[in-house]
Amino acid sequence: MNDSENWEHLQSLFHLAEMTPEHDRERVLIEHCPDADLRERVLEILRASTVESSTTPKQTPMQAGKIGPYALIRHLGSGGLGSVYLVERMVGGSAQRAALKVLAPHAAGASFIERFYREEDILASLNHPNITHMFDAGLTETGQPYLVMEYVDGLHLDVYSDQHKLSIADRIALFLEVCEAVAYAHRNLVIHLDLKPSNILVTPEADVKLLDFGTSKIIQSDSLLTTTVLATPAYASPEQLRNEPVTTASDIYALGAVLFELLAGRRPGGKASVAIMIERAVREQAPEKVTQAITPEAADLRGVSETRLRQLLSGDLSIIIAKCLAPRPEERYPSIDMLIEDLRRYLDGRPVLARPQTAVYRIGKFVRRNRKSVIAAAAACLLLIGALTYAEVQQERALREGQRALRMQTFLYKLFRLANSNYTGKPSATVPEFLQLGVKMLPQYIKDPTDLREAQMSLAESMFENGDLDNAQQVFTQTIASAKAAKDYDAQAESEAFSGNIAYVQGQNDLGDKLTADALNLSRRPKISHATRVWSAIYFAWNRDNNGFKSDDNVRLLQSAVKEAREANLSPHETADAIYDLGQDLEVRGRLDEAEPLYREALKVYGDDPSALCDRSAVYGDLAELIVMRGDVSRSLPYYQLAYEGAKACAGPDSSLALSEREYIADADMKLGHPADALNIMLQDIPTWRKIDGHTQLIAEPLYFFAQANVLTGHNDEAIAAAREGIDVQTGKIAPTDRRFGVFHMIWAQALFNQQHFAEALPQAQLADRILINSIAISPGAKKINAQAHQLLADIQAKLPH
Amino acid sequence: MTEPGQITVLLHEWSEGKPASIEPLFEMVYPQLRVIAGALFRGERPECMLQPTSVVNELFLKLIRQRSLKFEDREHFYSLSARLMRRVLVDHARSERRQKRDGGIPVPLHEELAWIDARDAEMIDLDRVLEELEKVDPKKCRMVELRFFLGFTAEETAELLHTSKATVDRDLRFVRGWLYDRLHAA
Repeated sequence: MNDSENWEHLQSLFHLAEMTPEHDRERVLIEHCPDADLRERVLEILRASTVESSTTPKQTPMQAGKIGPYALIRHLGSGGLGSVYLVERMVGGSAQRAALKVLAPHAAGASFIERFYREEDILASLNHPNITHMFDAGLTETGQPYLVMEYVDGLHLDVYSDQHKLSIADRIALFLEVCEAVAYAHRNLVIHLDLKPSNILVTPEADVKLLDFGTSKIIQSDSLLTTTVLATPAYASPEQLRNEPVTTASDIYALGAVLFELLAGRRPGGKASVAIMIERAVREQAPEKVTQAITPEAADLRGVSETRLRQLLSGDLSIIIAKCLAPRPEERYPSIDMLIEDLRRYLDGRPVLARPQTAVYRIGKFVRRNRKSVIAAAAACLLLIGALTYAEVQQERALREGQRALRMQTFLYKLFRLANSNYTGKPSATVPEFLQLGVKMLPQYIKDPTDLREAQMSLAESMFENGDLDNAQQVFTQTIASAKAAKDYDAQAESEAFSGNIAYVQGQNDLGDKLTADALNLSRRPKISHATRVWSAIYFAWNRDNNGFKSDDNVRLLQSAVKEAREANLSPHETADAIYDLGQDLEVRGRLDEAEPLYREALKVYGDDPSALCDRSAVYGDLAELIVMRGDVSRSLPYYQLAYEGAKACAGPDSSLALSEREYIADADMKLGHPADALNIMLQDIPTWRKIDGHTQLIAEPLYFFAQANVLTGHNDEAIAAAREGIDVQTGKIAPTDRRFGVFHMIWAQALFNQQHFAEALPQAQLADRILINSIAISPGAKKINAQAHQLLADIQAKLPH
Repeated sequence: MTEPGQITVLLHEWSEGKPASIEPLFEMVYPQLRVIAGALFRGERPECMLQPTSVVNELFLKLIRQRSLKFEDREHFYSLSARLMRRVLVDHARSERRQKRDGGIPVPLHEELAWIDARDAEMIDLDRVLEELEKVDPKKCRMVELRFFLGFTAEETAELLHTSKATVDRDLRFVRGWLYDRLHAA
């Protein structure tokens, strides 16, 4: 029978037949098809189509017997990596229960036992009540690898939460315990890489237990498969799906996905196939919004209505989840501690942590630079190379050659990456990992405690520069303790100064105050190095000045730091940093005449050091700003141009650094009465901003300039849209009384006023006026905005009847 | 060694309607994929456990790393990927040189086909009837490949082929019956 001749007909008859009840089929088919052979053919195909697909012979779990020394009790479950059994082993006369996981052969090669023993120390060091222990590894009789771990009788996190109909707050509280455990593991340099609800158990006593910590580490190294296969695709971070280096940020992604599901009821991304998940990862697609995943059933299981659930998830929680699920690791929370902090803030009803904003004389002060970056990174690398080479000579025979050579090679390769990534301003995902490795390796190579401390500090400083605050802080805590014990005041002061600075960045101001004060005190002792004294002074004064305690003492301290840096001939980069910091401090205070020469001096001291490109661009930007504050906008333009060129060269044309400088050019254009030029710039840049920053408040400032350019060129609707968006992106992240809201309400009011919608403009103008008048306005520009807002309110009131 | 841009050029030509480009394209990507697949079959057990995640992943990353290929032509890209998947499975089955079983065991055609350990003999049979289908109705053959070899959901298949989910479901009911019937007929 040749089906191809009747192909179309065959199909339509098939569909007709399948829609018709069986008893009637014969009659209907005859009616539509006179050809008996064809009719028979249709019925044949129809019969074949209803054949049950035989269930595939899945790996049948073992029912009884022994695996190694373990007696099987029962099969607990099967997953992508293999089957898990409850087993028992006699230890000293009593039966000890454990969970034994037989791994699929594709998941681990034979050398995995060796790896288990190599990792054993690290795994054993994971001593946390919420992390299950791994005790043993072996091969079954048929050569399949297995792992033995603590047995936990519990329910999967999501199942438990649904069974107990836990509220959103209770679910978050439970999730926080998960975060604490993962944060603990991260501090011990262990990444999980396969976090998912089924790896998180809750016992009947409501204790959280994380499974499989360390499994990825043991399985991965020599498996030809990539992490993708090992992780569960639905919770795997985009970098895992892209087969790129993984870091702690990958776990943060997975935690975000778990939280998403825990709160909304289903996984982010829905039921996409793995292929499409990989495509999304490669395209760096923005994550799905948690509010889109809500279903009535999910609301019911959380004890609220669907509308209420949407309300609950739409504000801060959706921001927190989106931050975890950012496609690029560097856009996620830099550490789990910050995620924990934000969730606690949410539970306490406090606003979630926005990046700490400091002085407010534009909309917010744009932080232009990365302090000390290249120096610290390069120094750490040189130091490590030195240590490794030294060790090579010393202990050559004792070491396994191949491995060492490989390490050196990897090391040099990473050095390049490191230097390079700072150069381009793009943090590399592998740097933090590499530094962590460095910290772990150091004690094997450097035996002298003072040298070891030095090396650890350098690495920690590099970690800090690379945004790995958690790990940096962890190492500094160690070096502070060891320096203290050894009465090494220099190292203690330096560690405390950096550690204090990190505490400020993480929003722990009390800790920052304490540590920097202690560092400053210690640095006044005799025999302290100049560099330590300079950095202790700078971190003390700078942070106090930027966290609300401005005082002239701080200025004096910075002045003496600069003096010391100059006299002691510290490296040009460090000296220039100190000078620039002092300049900024004076500028913020309005002491422009003193700040300007300092900026110019900093530029000179940085010289043409290519690693100072970003710093120089930053100084140019501040210099331009200073000139604007003096009221000479047209003279500021060439400096903004230099700042822009510099930022382009060091961070790339589409970097937030470069774009920000261009926005200031647009701002200057508007001030000079060329709003059309400004609008042109902003029309170009806003889409780029959206690409780098769709939903955090970094885009607020560009939106402000965009809104302003629109209103000035008569595009009132566009101005309102931009103002509305500017308010949206900042809502929940900064205080509602912040002047960064005020300026948007003002533009909104102005646009409505221009459209003669006076009644609608009134509440916007009132809000703008009330916010702005109560906020600090230091620069003449800011004062002018306040005056304009007030005038606008008066103008609107004059147009209204009473 | 493959020139980095070559694959892109060929893929582009193919999508522009030059069917001749498919063969060199295939030959260029396939050997690399075969290596990966080989590693996956390392288990050497009677049933193979192919993890399409990794095959697809490696394939994607190979193709996508060529910067100019930016999923502008998803339809062709995925069709090619699905065909590659099919070929990996069939070639593996052939290389095992296993005896053809007695006919009559239906190949489980559900969406997890590629995820499961289909027996080698069945795979070779399936490939043969798919070739028949290809001749009669290449479009439905693409559909089967996408859905069953690449693990696309019905929605995703529909979206890629610019049709509705209902149509995909409907077409696949027919094709499934037809394929089973042809398998028995042999």
